[in-house]
Amino acid sequence: MTTGKNITQEVEKTLDSLDGIQRAEANPFLFTRIKAKMQRQQDNVWEKVFSFITRPAIAFAVVLLVMGINMLAVWGSGANENLATDTGSANVSEIANEYNLIASAENYDYENFNNE
Amino acid sequence: MEQLKRGDESSFKTIVAQWKNMVYNTVLGIVQNETEAEDLTQDVFIKVFENISSFKGESKFSTWLYRIATTTALDHLRSRKRKKRFGFVQSIFGHDQEKKEQLPDFHHPGVKLDNKERATVLFKAISSLPENQKAAYTLHKLEGLSYREISEVLHTTVPAVESLMSRANANLRKKLEDYYTKHYR
Repeated sequence: MTTGKNITQEVEKTLDSLDGIQRAEANPFLFTRIKAKMQRQQDNVWEKVFSFITRPAIAFAVVLLVMGINMLAVWGSGANENLATDTGSANVSEIANEYNLIASAENYDYENFNNE
Repeated sequence: MEQLKRGDESSFKTIVAQWKNMVYNTVLGIVQNETEAEDLTQDVFIKVFENISSFKGESKFSTWLYRIATTTALDHLRSRKRKKRFGFVQSIFGHDQEKKEQLPDFHHPGVKLDNKERATVLFKAISSLPENQKAAYTLHKLEGLSYREISEVLHTTVPAVESLMSRANANLRKKLEDYYTKHYR
């Protein structure tokens, strides 16, 4: 049965197992592969654009921006609507007056209507 | 360096030839997978080529390169973890199309023959360290960087690196004790 002392020795030996380690060597054709990858990436510009805009931070920022623009548009159109209604109804009234289109009890001479 | 900034291919080839083993070894130590490390090494050099204009020479080129290699490797580990989490969530909803892949034991090609088995156990323990400790430990043990050099790579202070190494060693010791207690009882 391994004692506590033995376990400590095992642990120390394992911790020292990387002593004298040599560097791992990269593929000798690495440069060729890099060039090929760069060419593929150049050909896939849309892929790059898509992968950029689908990054969580970017997507979240875009959503916030769209919501902000929407809110501005809604708020802006709400203010303009009142202005348009006032101006519009004024225009309509003017035209209606010009052509005597507004129905009003004052305009009707019920007693003399048939005689005109 | 100026030629590389102008996009000169032969300068880029020279840089790759000069630094490829350093980059590959650093990335390999962190991700512990040869196929992934090879792919990531390519990504590191592509980043170097695309961002060389941002290298102002305030630090050594090797420091800058180690920084890119380390962050690229750590980003990849985060991505790997996210995919694993997503796969787990999918399995809850019954979309368990792929079996859960367990990473195979990692054998670093540069370890001495006598130490291969122990090194495999150690690398497994290293893979469970927090990111910063993993990065500092790998840069120190596999690349032989001093604490000062590691502090420049990780954009931190020498005392911070000392603390990272101390905690890394303590964590590794604990994991190895648990391992040997379990396997030798």
